[in-house]
Amino acid sequence: MDERNPEMDERQAREEIRLIQTMVEKTRQTTAESGTLFVFWGVICALALIGSYILGFLKLYRWEWANWAGLTIFGWIVTIVYSIRKGRRESVRTYTQTAARHLYFGCGLGFLLVGLLFPAAGVYSHEAIPVLISAVSGILFFVLGGIFAWPFLRGIGLAWWAGAIGLSFFSTEIRIPVYTGLFIALFLVPAFVLRLKFRRERMPS
Amino acid sequence: MTAGKLEPLDPVIHSQVRLAVLSILVSVENADFNYLKKATEATDGNLSTHLTKLEESGYVGVAKSFRGKKPVTTCSITGKGRSAFARYVKALESYLPPGR
Repeated sequence: MDERNPEMDERQAREEIRLIQTMVEKTRQTTAESGTLFVFWGVICALALIGSYILGFLKLYRWEWANWAGLTIFGWIVTIVYSIRKGRRESVRTYTQTAARHLYFGCGLGFLLVGLLFPAAGVYSHEAIPVLISAVSGILFFVLGGIFAWPFLRGIGLAWWAGAIGLSFFSTEIRIPVYTGLFIALFLVPAFVLRLKFRRERMPS
Repeated sequence: MTAGKLEPLDPVIHSQVRLAVLSILVSVENADFNYLKKATEATDGNLSTHLTKLEESGYVGVAKSFRGKKPVTTCSITGKGRSAFARYVKALESYLPPGR
């Protein structure tokens, strides 16, 4: 690309505007949210829920905490390694990515505290975990929807909060199955939608 | 047909490579040299020259660091560069017919 003639006409102005649009579009495709960690954490939580069911069926309740703690620690290790490796390969970083990264970390820590550490420390009963996890999930999706200007995710956030309120009215026996339904509808489905959106955005328009 | 008054264009931005670089940097926090090279399809030397001009004008900040053992040059737009880019786009619009 060479220096341009300083004289400008309408055709050149249009060319320059097209160049700006092309560069912005290229960058948008490069920095689209992949949703990989969303899907990964969805699978981790699904495995933990299945583990809880199996342990409950076998009446090995005291191992439930170890099931969740083990999978969560594994999830965190994979997340940290993945993020460091991705960060090293990253050639361009947006403010949106930085904001989303802080939100993921903040909510991840929130899940760890309300789902594992506080109940283990006896701050509240294990029965409260689905309600509190749902409330943190609401924050995650609602804010993420704001960052990516995507009303669908904001709606999922609102649904999580409504779910948290709803869960508080159910008895302990049916709270976990209802939470599992909420999790599939409001975490796994959006995670896969996010992944599909990423693949679409990566394709040149 | 264009609008009545044609706005002057900033000579620092009035180059395809420099305009392309600023168009990328205006929408990101930072971008490395290799990404800019690939996106603008410029050669190393050409991009380097244009980045130096943008840096000297205070439109772009250039930081050198290491990613492991590999040297990395990271560029970001400054507040002055952002304002200049906005003025440039506004000036470009004055060359277009009203309403376009």
